[in-house]
Amino acid sequence: MTVLEVNHLQKVYATRFGGSKVEALKNVNFTVEEGEFVAIMGESGSGKTTLLNILAALDKPTSGNVLLKGKDFASIKEAEAAAFRRDHLGFVFQDFNLLDTFTLEDNIYLPLVLKGKSYAEMHDRLTPIAQRLGIASLLQKYPYEVSGGQKQRAAVARALITDPEIILADEPTGALDSRASDELLRLFGEINRGGQTILMVTHSVKAASVASRVLFIRDGEVFHQLYRGDLPNEQLYQKISDTLTMLQGGGIKE
Amino acid sequence: MKRFLLFPKLACEGILKNRRLYIPYLLSCIGMVMMSYIMHALAVSPSLQHMPGGGNAEAFLSLGQLVIALFALLFLFYTNSFLSRRRCREYGLYSILGMDRRSISRIVLWESLIVTVISILCGMGLGILFSKLAELGLMNAVRGDINYRFTVQPEAIRYTLIVYGIIFALLTLRSVFNIRKSRPLELLRSESVGEKAPKANWVLAMIGLILIVLAYWTSIGIQTPLAALVLFFIAVLMVIAGTYLLFMSGSVAFCKLLQANKQYYYRKEHFVSVSSMAYRMKRNGAGLASICILSTMVLVMIASTSSLYFGADDAIRTRFQAHTQLEVRREDPDDISDEKIAALRGQYEQVFRHVDLMPETVLEYRYAVITGMMSGSDMKADSNAIDASIFGYDNLRMLCFVSVTDYNRVMHTQLSLNAGEALVTPIRCTYDRQTIHMGDMQLQVIGQAEQPMPIGEVYTMVIPSLIVIIPDYETIVPLQELVDCNGDQMLDIRWYYGYDFGEHISETAAIAIFEAQKAAALSFYEGGTAIDAGCVFTERNDFYATFGGLFFLGILLSVVFIFAAVVIIYYTQISEGYEDQKRFAIMRKVGMTDSDIRKSINSQVLTVFFAPLLMAGLHLAFAFPFVWKLLQLFNLRNLPLVICITVGAFAAFGALYGIIYKLTAGAYYRIVSSAEQT
Repeated sequence: MTVLEVNHLQKVYATRFGGSKVEALKNVNFTVEEGEFVAIMGESGSGKTTLLNILAALDKPTSGNVLLKGKDFASIKEAEAAAFRRDHLGFVFQDFNLLDTFTLEDNIYLPLVLKGKSYAEMHDRLTPIAQRLGIASLLQKYPYEVSGGQKQRAAVARALITDPEIILADEPTGALDSRASDELLRLFGEINRGGQTILMVTHSVKAASVASRVLFIRDGEVFHQLYRGDLPNEQLYQKISDTLTMLQGGGIKE
Repeated sequence: MKRFLLFPKLACEGILKNRRLYIPYLLSCIGMVMMSYIMHALAVSPSLQHMPGGGNAEAFLSLGQLVIALFALLFLFYTNSFLSRRRCREYGLYSILGMDRRSISRIVLWESLIVTVISILCGMGLGILFSKLAELGLMNAVRGDINYRFTVQPEAIRYTLIVYGIIFALLTLRSVFNIRKSRPLELLRSESVGEKAPKANWVLAMIGLILIVLAYWTSIGIQTPLAALVLFFIAVLMVIAGTYLLFMSGSVAFCKLLQANKQYYYRKEHFVSVSSMAYRMKRNGAGLASICILSTMVLVMIASTSSLYFGADDAIRTRFQAHTQLEVRREDPDDISDEKIAALRGQYEQVFRHVDLMPETVLEYRYAVITGMMSGSDMKADSNAIDASIFGYDNLRMLCFVSVTDYNRVMHTQLSLNAGEALVTPIRCTYDRQTIHMGDMQLQVIGQAEQPMPIGEVYTMVIPSLIVIIPDYETIVPLQELVDCNGDQMLDIRWYYGYDFGEHISETAAIAIFEAQKAAALSFYEGGTAIDAGCVFTERNDFYATFGGLFFLGILLSVVFIFAAVVIIYYTQISEGYEDQKRFAIMRKVGMTDSDIRKSINSQVLTVFFAPLLMAGLHLAFAFPFVWKLLQLFNLRNLPLVICITVGAFAAFGALYGIIYKLTAGAYYRIVSSAEQT
């Protein structure tokens, strides 16, 4: 079943007085099936962030549309966008975006509290997730008291607890050291095997190599894609590297 | 030339770019300069010096001037520190772009110079503009003569220039010093220092609560305000300490308590507010407590000075049972024998006949006064009252003896007393004893006379009084034996003569008659101190000169303090807004809707704003009994009036506060929501 469908997405940024125009996204098309783990790769300026912002309903496309389980993003009113994000999407950010005034537990509860859930229900939901992410003993700590990896795991828990249709991860390993990155990517793989759909934007080959499919974006277009098939991580890593090298060489076109 | 202009240009741009921060700061500076100029201009104003009693008002204004100058120094330093904290980033950027500290200092210098020049010019200009208005207000308050000549006081200009020159120089020095000792990276990063979670200090919170309750209890319990002045002062200190503790620790503890209640805490409406409140209070507790204390001061000041002012007529009425009163005070009862009184009365009436004006009502009676100390069932003549410790004042009583004949005549009653019997009317005290024993005099108290004899002095005296109705003046002859430590007789025998012209007499005529009669009485006894005489009209002028000045000063100072409190709150909120920017951006990403954010902001800003105001209201309510008792010493008797004025002052203050809240909440919201675009 298709979770996410992106059709002919175009985004043009104009300067304030309509002077020069920048086309961040030209024509982006792809779909994400349920249970998939898709990585989107591209260099800075390739339009990754713009794409993610549109997928997160933080920004509107100039033309084209995005469907989440058949529902068009364009039909969401500005005022409902926040509630829509909260109910259907889970986010993991590069810089964690945890609130320093809350304990990890309260940070994880935040979307549910905004949704109006009771404490008992939130607590019941959290227990297995915290167990799985290995942060059960850290829940009463504040963000400044724990390591980056632990913060990111709390952020993942916050994304998971609403049971979203899709998790959008924006460079989730960007602020982590290699050990914490490995650990987080292992968790992502595990979560994905549990049936969770994940869309991750990254430029780390290592991060992308845990995905089941990798999309390459260049100059506002999906340029190429790789399927894992039955390849182990190491071989996928090699394939991604090769592709990137070719891309930078300015080579292949589908 | 170009290079020379670079720094002023950068400074101007810096100010313009940060106008949200600079405008309130500039307004504060201008306001302070203006107030100082006005104060000084009034103090040296010739119209004030030429009016009777103007010296009082002038003294108050000089005092006010000092208060304002000191306050300006503290206040401007405080607001300036907010500014420099915000500007640090910008300076850090300059420094990373390769500007050395000397150049940054030059920018800072230019900025200070611009601010100084604008503040002093505008402040002085507005001061000159409004000083005439203030002068009219003051002259109106002290009931002086009004002229409409517009004047500029060079003396005041010089004073203001010197004082604010120094203050601004100090401010500049500090800014430059801060830049000098700082490092560029620190400058850039100075705002993003992590903060630990606030911990509730239950002990301090409890101490704060106990202190405040104790202070309230003390204030209510005080019966004799003068005796308990020390006690009240202690209570004030307790309230101040308690307020600080409560705002700094109590508020955090309260938030923690709310957080512990999971049913309450994990609700959309409370979740974000309560948790950020804990931080907010930790950071701003001291500031809010200061605002609370400041507001309480303003309210007490406004309430008491306006009560005094608006209650002036009442107070004069209390002191004066009649328009004019002439009271002869002698030690020798023979001096006010029937014959002597008749002779003096004849002289008074001659004055009336001379101007062909007769009073509508005349009241006269004899009475005797002695001060005593209550001890057991005894009333001792007070010879060492002054030496007695302040706390001993509680037992001090003024005794006024009135014969039953005089009482019946004045009060239109038909009481009768046997020898050795007495009736008492306690004023501002109770008397439950059966006897009065003083020297060789022994009286049996057979009851109380409900209607007090209208003796002015029992109301104007600080100490409680006892009006004692006796069979005749023979009864108190033994008291003539009593002497004080100087060997002077303590009993004071008096003849009161007061009259009223009603409404239809000119002030000058009344004063002329009064002066003539006073002179007659003085020459009659050939002594200077033998007579206590007063006339409502002359008194009133003095009274207004004194309390009008006080009232006016109260208003001026209140304006300054309120303004300061408001600016402090504004800056607190704005700097909070910058810190909350990121937090709300995260919440928006996680799914907080705009209306949720607005609600959460409102509830937080509302709390921060109105907690000090409510606390100040509570303080005021509990200070009120004491203030009321103190006002009674100034002969104010109109409780409803004082209550109205106090409530009115609070309402006006609250309304002003509400307006500022609206403005600040708007500015705060704009800052927080501007993070959306990034």
